[in-house]
Amino acid sequence: MSTPSHRPRKKSRASEVHAATSNGSITLDATSSRERPAFPLAAFFWPTKGVPTSSWVILSSILMITGLFRWTTGFWPYSGRARPPMHGDFEAQRHWMELTIHLPVTHWYFHDLEWWGLDYPPLTAYHSWICGQIGSLLNPDWFALYLSRGNDDHGVKVFMRATVIISEYLIYTPAAVICVRQLGRMHNINPWESSIALTALLMQPATILIDHGHFQYNTVMLGFTLASIASLYAGRRLWSCVFFVCALGFKQMALFYAPAIAAYLAGSCVFPRLNLPRLVGIAIITLASFALLFLPLLLGTAFATYRSLPLPATATPPPLLASLPALLSSEKSTLYPYITQLLQAVHRIFPFARGLFEDKVANIWCFVHSTGLHKLSAYSASTLSRASLLLTLASITPPCALLFLAPRPQVLAPALATTAWGFFLCGFQVHEKNVLLPLLPLTLLLAGKDGMKPSDRGWVGYANVLAAFTLFPLLKRDQLRIPYFVLTGLWSWLLALPPTSLSIFFGSTARSGEEAELHWTSKILHLGTYAAMIAWHVVEAFVETPEGKQDLWVVANVSIGAAGFGLCYLWCLWQSVVASGLLDRTSGQTAKKTQ
Amino acid sequence: MADQFPTLAQCAVVATSLKVLLWPAYKSTDFEVHRNWLAITHSLPIDKWYFEETSEWTLDYPPFFAHFEWVLGRIARYVDAAMLQINNLEYDSWQTIHFQRATVILTELMLVYSLYAFVRSSPAATKKQAHAVALSLLLSPALLIIDHIHFQYNGFMYGVLIWSIVLARKKSTLLLSGIMFAVLLCFKHIYLYLAPAYFAFLLRTYCLGPRSVFDIKFANCIKLGVSIAAVFALAFGPFVYWEQMPQVLARLFPFSRGLCHAYWAPNVWAIYSFSDRILIYPQIPALLKLFLQPSWDNFVATLTLCGYASFLFGWHVHEKAILLVIVPFSLIALKDRRYFGAFRPLAVAGHVSLFPLLFTVQEFPAKTVYTLVWLIAFLLTFDKLVPASEKPRVFLLDRFSLLYTALAVPLMVYTSLLHHMIFGAKYEFLPLMFTSSYCAIGVVGSWLSFSVVHFTA
Repeated sequence: MSTPSHRPRKKSRASEVHAATSNGSITLDATSSRERPAFPLAAFFWPTKGVPTSSWVILSSILMITGLFRWTTGFWPYSGRARPPMHGDFEAQRHWMELTIHLPVTHWYFHDLEWWGLDYPPLTAYHSWICGQIGSLLNPDWFALYLSRGNDDHGVKVFMRATVIISEYLIYTPAAVICVRQLGRMHNINPWESSIALTALLMQPATILIDHGHFQYNTVMLGFTLASIASLYAGRRLWSCVFFVCALGFKQMALFYAPAIAAYLAGSCVFPRLNLPRLVGIAIITLASFALLFLPLLLGTAFATYRSLPLPATATPPPLLASLPALLSSEKSTLYPYITQLLQAVHRIFPFARGLFEDKVANIWCFVHSTGLHKLSAYSASTLSRASLLLTLASITPPCALLFLAPRPQVLAPALATTAWGFFLCGFQVHEKNVLLPLLPLTLLLAGKDGMKPSDRGWVGYANVLAAFTLFPLLKRDQLRIPYFVLTGLWSWLLALPPTSLSIFFGSTARSGEEAELHWTSKILHLGTYAAMIAWHVVEAFVETPEGKQDLWVVANVSIGAAGFGLCYLWCLWQSVVASGLLDRTSGQTAKKTQ
Repeated sequence: MADQFPTLAQCAVVATSLKVLLWPAYKSTDFEVHRNWLAITHSLPIDKWYFEETSEWTLDYPPFFAHFEWVLGRIARYVDAAMLQINNLEYDSWQTIHFQRATVILTELMLVYSLYAFVRSSPAATKKQAHAVALSLLLSPALLIIDHIHFQYNGFMYGVLIWSIVLARKKSTLLLSGIMFAVLLCFKHIYLYLAPAYFAFLLRTYCLGPRSVFDIKFANCIKLGVSIAAVFALAFGPFVYWEQMPQVLARLFPFSRGLCHAYWAPNVWAIYSFSDRILIYPQIPALLKLFLQPSWDNFVATLTLCGYASFLFGWHVHEKAILLVIVPFSLIALKDRRYFGAFRPLAVAGHVSLFPLLFTVQEFPAKTVYTLVWLIAFLLTFDKLVPASEKPRVFLLDRFSLLYTALAVPLMVYTSLLHHMIFGAKYEFLPLMFTSSYCAIGVVGSWLSFSVVHFTA
C-alpha cells in the first residue's frame, strides 16, 4: 500500500517533525535508515500515515474491527452455561433483568437473595430494567418470572451478548475515544499515533475476555470512569464528578479509583491557591448526582408505599437499621420505607460478612495464605479486615498524596493505576476480575508521552499479559481457553511483546534513546515472569496436580500474578512520582526511569 | 517490497485470530458433508468411495479432494475417532468442529503463499497495487463467510488457482501452470468453467510459436498433453480400471443422472444442452481475443469473463460461484481506472449476494460489519492506488456505481429488520428476491462494463 515517505510533500515533512516527538510507534531501520513501524499494530496504520484520510474512516474502521473481535468472542460459552444448579455471572445478570421488569422497585434488593439476589448499585438495576424490557419485547420467555431461571437458550445468549456490546459502544467506546484524544492533545502526540494507542486500548485482552466471554458489564463502569478522567483532562471537574458517581452507581468496584479522584479534585481546589467556590461546587454536584442516582429507587418506594405494597415475605430488615436512632428506624416513621430501601441497598452492595478474598485471586492475602507463608484462617474476620484496611491505606496514601499535592493531569493515569493496584493487592473482598480496574488507567499510558516506546509499552504489556494470565483459571472453567490464547496472543503480538516477540529486550531501537529503554533490572524481571507464565501453562496442560492438592496450579498462578502485580504497583508509583514533577523540583535534574 | 505495510503475514495473523474466534459460529450442512467424506475415505477402500450412500451427502468431488480428505482423516484419528464413523451422522463434538475448522485455516496457507508469489511476480511499477490486491483477497469477506462460517475449503482451492495463474506469467513455468490447473480440476470440477481460457492461452503461448499459429511446437504439445493426461490418469485411472467411471461421473455431474432416468430425461437433457451451449457462445469472442493477443493480462481477463459466464448463465449456479469472478478480476482490477470502475459494483454485489448464506441472528453483525470494513478499507485504498486510464470512460459509471453502492444500505436494513417488522413471517421470499435482484443488477452491470473495457482495450 502507500508509503508516503517517498513523496516529497510538505505534509509528510510536517509528520517528520511530529515523528521527532513521536510516542514510539515508529522506529528507524538500522541498515536502511528508513522509517519502520515499531510493532505490527503500527504496520496496520501505515497506509494512512501522512496520507490525508478522513478521521471518520479511520475511527469507524477501528471501532468496527475491535467490535468484530468482541462479538466473535461472544460466540464462545459464557460463565455457568448449562451448569446447574447455580449457573454463573450470566444467569445473575439475566436474573436481574427478569426481577427488575416484573417486580415492584421495593422488592429489587429483597427478592429471593439466595438465587443471585441483586447486589450491585441502582444504576445496574436501571440498566437491567431497560435491557429486560427490550428483551421481553423480542421474546417474553427469556425473562419470564421464575420460569426463565437458568435459561440457556441460544436466543437469550445472543440478546445478552448484544446488550453488553451496545452498552459498551454507548459508554466505554466514546469515552475511550475522547480520553485518548485528550491525552494526545496534552502530550502533543499526532492523531495518527493516537489512533494506534486507541486500538491497543480497545483490544485489551482481559477486558474483552471478561465482558464478552465470561459475561459482565465492566466496560460500562470503566467507561464512566474513562469519561470522568477525560473530563478531568479537559478541566471539567463537575462533569467528572457526575461521571464518577455514575461509575460508582453502576458497580461499587469503582471505589478502587475513588480516593485518587477525590485527592485530585481536592488538590485542585487547594493548589496552587485555595478555591472555595470550586470545592463547594464539586460537593454539591456530587451529592446531587448521588441523590439523582437513588431517586428512581426512592420514587418507586413512594409509589409502593402509596399502594401499600408489602415487602416480600422472606425479607428481613437490613442489619444496619438497628444502629440508627429509633426515630428513623421505627416502622411507624414515614421515612421508614425509604431508609429500609437505602440501607438494604448498601447492605447488599457491601457484603462485609463475606471473606477476605473470594476464590483464588492474585493479591497479597491470597498469596500469603495459599502459598503457606502464613495461614490466615487463624485470625478473626474483624482482625483481617482491619489489617486489610490499614495495608490498603498505606499503599494508596503515596499516590493520593501526590495527586493532592501536585494535581497535574499528567499524574492522573499513573496515580489512578497505583491506587487501584493498592486496592487490588491489599484490599478486602477482591475478585480476580477486579484486575481490570488497575489495567485501564495503566493502559492509558500508551496514549501518553513515550507511551509506545519500549519502556512504557513493555510495562503496560507486562501488566496486561499477566492480568490475562491470572484470569486463566476462571476462563478455563468457562471453556474460554481458546479465546484466551487467541486474544492474549494477538494483543501481545500486535505490540511486539513476549511471548511472541523479544524485540523490546534485544531489539535495536537505534534512535529512540536510552531513556525509553527498559532498565536491565526490569528486563530480567519481565523475562523471568514471562518464562514462569509459559512454564506454568506447559505444566498446567500436561501435568496432573498431586493428590490432595487440587489447587496447586491455581496457587502457583496466583503467586506469579501477585508478585508481578506488586512490581506493577511499584512501577506505577514511580511513574506517578516522575509525572508529578517532584523530582525536577527537588534534584533539579531529569528523572531517570529505572523500574 | 520491504516498505509494504501491513505485510501479508501480518494480515494473516490478525485474520487467523478472528477465524479461530469464529469456530463456534453457525455452520451449514457443508460441515456435515465434509465430515461424512472424512468418514468415507477413512473407513472404506478407494473402490467403494463413490458408491457409499449411508448419508445423503455422498462424495461428489473429484478423487484428489477425496484423497485430501483421506489425509485429513489420518490426523483426525488422533483428535476424535468418532467423527470417522460413517454411521455417525450429524456428529459434531467440539473436537470435530475445532479439527475441521482448523484444517480450513491451515490449508488456506496455500492462498497466502500464492498471493505472496503473485506480489513477487508483479513488475516493480505495480507492486504496490499488487500488494493491495493480495491483501484484499487474503482478507476477502467472501472467503470468511463461505469458508470460515458456512464451511468449505475455497481458500485452499483458490490458492491453487492463483498459483497456477501466477505460474502462467512466466514463459518458463507455463507447463507447470497447466499441470497445476489440471490438478485443481481433479480437486474440484467447478473450475471446468475456466478451462476454455486455459485451453486458448496454453495453446497459443505454449503449443504454438510466438510469430505464427502455423509454427507448431510439437515437443511442447507432447509435454503438455502427457503431463495433463498423467494428472488425470493419477486421479481417475483407478476408477477407469475398476470400470467405475460412469458412477464417478454421475456423482460429479448430478444433472447427467437425469439422463439415466428415462422418464424425465428429455426435459433435463434439453436444459443441460441448452445451458451448455449458452455457456460457450458468449465466451467465443473473448477466447478469440485471447488467442490473438495472448498476454497474461488478457488471460486473466478471459478467466474473469469465463467466471462471469458461468455465474450469469450457468445451470444450477451457487451464490458461492461468485468467487470464480471476484478472484481473477481482483488480480487485474487495479490495471486502470476503467477496470476498477467495473470492479466496484461487483465487489459490493458479490459480497452482498453471499449474505443469505448466513441467516442466523448471531452471525448477522459479523458478516455485515466485516464486509463493510473490507469495502471501506479496500475501495478507498484501491481508489488511491489505481492509475488513470489512457482512454476516456465509456459510461457514467461512477455515478451509477455510487448510487448502486449506497442502495446496499437500505437494502440491508429492509431485509434484516424492516421486513420482519412490517410483514412478520409472511412473504419470506421478498427479502431474498430483493437481494438477488439487487445483486443481479450489480453483477450484470459490472459484467457489461467489464466486457466493454476489455474489448475496447
